Amino acid sequence: MRYLARRALWTVTALLGVSVLIFLLVRLLPGNIVDIIAGTEGQLTADQRVQVLREFGLDKPLPAQYFLWLGNMFQGNFGWSFRSGQPVAVLLASRLPITVELAVLAILGVAVLGVPLGVAASVSRSLRLRTLVQIVGVLGLSLPSFWIAILLMIAASYLLGWMPALIYVSPLADPWVNLQQMFLPVSSLALGLSAVVMRMTRSSMLEVLGQDFIKVARAKGLPALAVLLRHALRNALIPIVTILGLQTGFLLGGVVITEQIFGLPGLGWTLLNGVYQRDYPVVQGTVMLFAITFVLINLLVDLLYTYLDPRIRYD
Amino acid sequence: MERKRAESHRGLSRRLFLAGGVAVSGGVAGLDLLGPASGVKPAWAQAAGTPKRGGTLVAAAEIDPVSLDPHTSSNFSSVQAYDHIYESLTGYDEKTNIVPALAQSWDISNGGKTYTFKLRPNVKFHNGQTMTAEDVKYSIERPMDPKTASPWRSWFDSIKEIKVVDPLTVQMNLDAPYPILGSFAGMRASGIIPKGLAERENLKIKGIGTGPFKLVEYVPQDRIVYTRNPDYWDSPLPYLDGMVFKVLTEENARLAALRAGQIQYALLSAQGAVQGEGTPGITVAKSPSAWVVLHYINVYPKPMSDARVRRALRMATDTNEVIQKAVFGGAVPSGPVPTGYGEWYLDPQTLPYLKADVEGAKKLLAEAGYANGFKMEIKCSPQYPEFVAATLVMQQAVKKIGVDMTVTQMEWGAFVADNAKSNQNGGREGADAYTSANTFRPDPDGYLYPYFHSKGNLNKGGYENPKLDSLLTEARSVANPAERRLLYQQAQRIILEESVNWFWYAKFNIEAVSSKLQGYSQSFTGRRLFLKKAWLA
Repeated sequence: MRYLARRALWTVTALLGVSVLIFLLVRLLPGNIVDIIAGTEGQLTADQRVQVLREFGLDKPLPAQYFLWLGNMFQGNFGWSFRSGQPVAVLLASRLPITVELAVLAILGVAVLGVPLGVAASVSRSLRLRTLVQIVGVLGLSLPSFWIAILLMIAASYLLGWMPALIYVSPLADPWVNLQQMFLPVSSLALGLSAVVMRMTRSSMLEVLGQDFIKVARAKGLPALAVLLRHALRNALIPIVTILGLQTGFLLGGVVITEQIFGLPGLGWTLLNGVYQRDYPVVQGTVMLFAITFVLINLLVDLLYTYLDPRIRYD
Repeated sequence: MERKRAESHRGLSRRLFLAGGVAVSGGVAGLDLLGPASGVKPAWAQAAGTPKRGGTLVAAAEIDPVSLDPHTSSNFSSVQAYDHIYESLTGYDEKTNIVPALAQSWDISNGGKTYTFKLRPNVKFHNGQTMTAEDVKYSIERPMDPKTASPWRSWFDSIKEIKVVDPLTVQMNLDAPYPILGSFAGMRASGIIPKGLAERENLKIKGIGTGPFKLVEYVPQDRIVYTRNPDYWDSPLPYLDGMVFKVLTEENARLAALRAGQIQYALLSAQGAVQGEGTPGITVAKSPSAWVVLHYINVYPKPMSDARVRRALRMATDTNEVIQKAVFGGAVPSGPVPTGYGEWYLDPQTLPYLKADVEGAKKLLAEAGYANGFKMEIKCSPQYPEFVAATLVMQQAVKKIGVDMTVTQMEWGAFVADNAKSNQNGGREGADAYTSANTFRPDPDGYLYPYFHSKGNLNKGGYENPKLDSLLTEARSVANPAERRLLYQQAQRIILEESVNWFWYAKFNIEAVSSKLQGYSQSFTGRRLFLKKAWLA
């Protein structure tokens, strides 16, 4: 309980830090919404520039802008998009499900693909399998997900003449169409990440398999599979879970580009567009949401440790 | 050489003709500019049978519109999205002639200082309301109001008063003659909306106009959905039941969707066109458009304040090489007014500096006292790869005359801010030149006065030339098109001679169109104006 309270305090401090950072960083970018409105062809007079700045509340001193934003946020008001005039909270709420689905499916894909491959690589004596796993690992680590995404898309359309429906369909409305739409983006995200997880699983498994209790388990006549899964894998899981947690964080970054490539209107693309158009409230809101997610996932991972290894206790 | 290129395009057209059963003249239209005939053909149009009602067009939008508000956004992406919803008093036909739209007719009296517009009767807004002169007055006054902060406000500066004479007559009284007013259609910020709409609705994502299509919904970064306006005044248009524009910023995604048959229309780059051309059932249409790539030069600091230096740098660079490397040959050389714009542009064959003249450039630099060259900086944004490519060609070319050019690449928002700052402080800060493009202006004046008149508000570095000033001022007050044309030709020759900016090319508008989409034609404006005349076979 004390642990949780201390964690909560740290979390709030971290989030406040993030809020100050993002608030300042987005304003450090050269140019603002006025420049975007005018473009290189538009003609805004100095008076008009001031007028627009005032309309968006950008004429106030920075601390005033910050505390106004922070205060509103505590009341659940994330401000309004400069660009569309929509409330940021409404905008993010409509975008969140797509990104969550993308991330959850990708993590599932990573777990399903990476962990078994890693386990197989750790016990196999076949040189071919181990080489294959090595190659896949190196490729997965070195190919950026956006490049894989474009390749997959080109391959699907040129070789198969196939591309899923363009307008996003919610899994609640039509799960089959939704899965088709998610297949390529999820694959492009999962392929690279599974390589990391696979290598981590392999090395972690090798370490555990060399320990005495495994010998004991084998000696007492347990079937090989039971030894592998119940004794070895369970003990090897801690670093794997850590990596998966961290990966989820990386995924949040990965979706930014993947969503744009596939035209999925999720949080990532919202963030990217917000940055391009200097839509401060949207950028700030999205980054805060990402930060909260990241912090929560870390908390979840820490709590999972105690479940996986009851010897670990926080107090 | 040029002949040969035109030939090969003709061959291609023929092939497409056989494959898709549609006539294509697009590839040829632009290249003919370089041929001996040198007349500009009308923009590409798809030959077609009898129009047919029905069907929903699924198309790709290459950029997410910044806003749907017709009065407050300067972005072309916005125009592309609200064009189908809103109309103005006048419009454009396929040859970019001004034609009546919401105004049936108009006359100019009082020495060019009074414009009287007769409105079309029984025009219905999408909410069922009938359009009247009150709506027109409200819609024009909105961008004029400083509170609206419209980036196009200065275009309306000469309007002193808008009077409602009767429900179908609007009179505009001007301070001084302003021939541009007749071309109201191309003026961004001139869409007619119901009186009071801006106060009631969030026009950035909603819209009620008189256009051929009604807005169903706009989901930013995702899609724009339109449905047919059954009460459209120009019946039986439009033929389509509706249109869906899916935002696909990634060109590979647009090509993949075209190939898989998920979309029937997409805008392509010259590079993407090469891939699109082989796609079965897809026609790639090309014709020159109002997109002139240029360098805005800051003439304030030395040595760019010296016309000889500016001319030498331009002279050292081969125009054709720029076109090849920046847009893979998909463009024609252009002066200040884009090649192909009505009767206003200079014949591209007569443009100076088409071929690089390194010796001449060296001589000019020596004359100006820079025989050993100098250092300079150009800023550009990789948001538009062609801008960077054009600048890099120049960087290589001017090396030969000893000029060390630094090319600074910036993210678009940062670039725009830097350019604006340089404009505001009269060129005292910022780079020696900025790479950008000028898009469609409703009148040639828009390419000249703001940039080259000493009082122009986009005149970087404060360029001043009394002769040019008087030409540009005079052209604003002359109503006779033939006389105006002469004035603008003289003005453009001076600008090129003085090399106030470096002009490169007018880019082809490249649109991939499914053979199912019939009756569509390209517009020089680069806008998708004629989707209202298209149908799905």
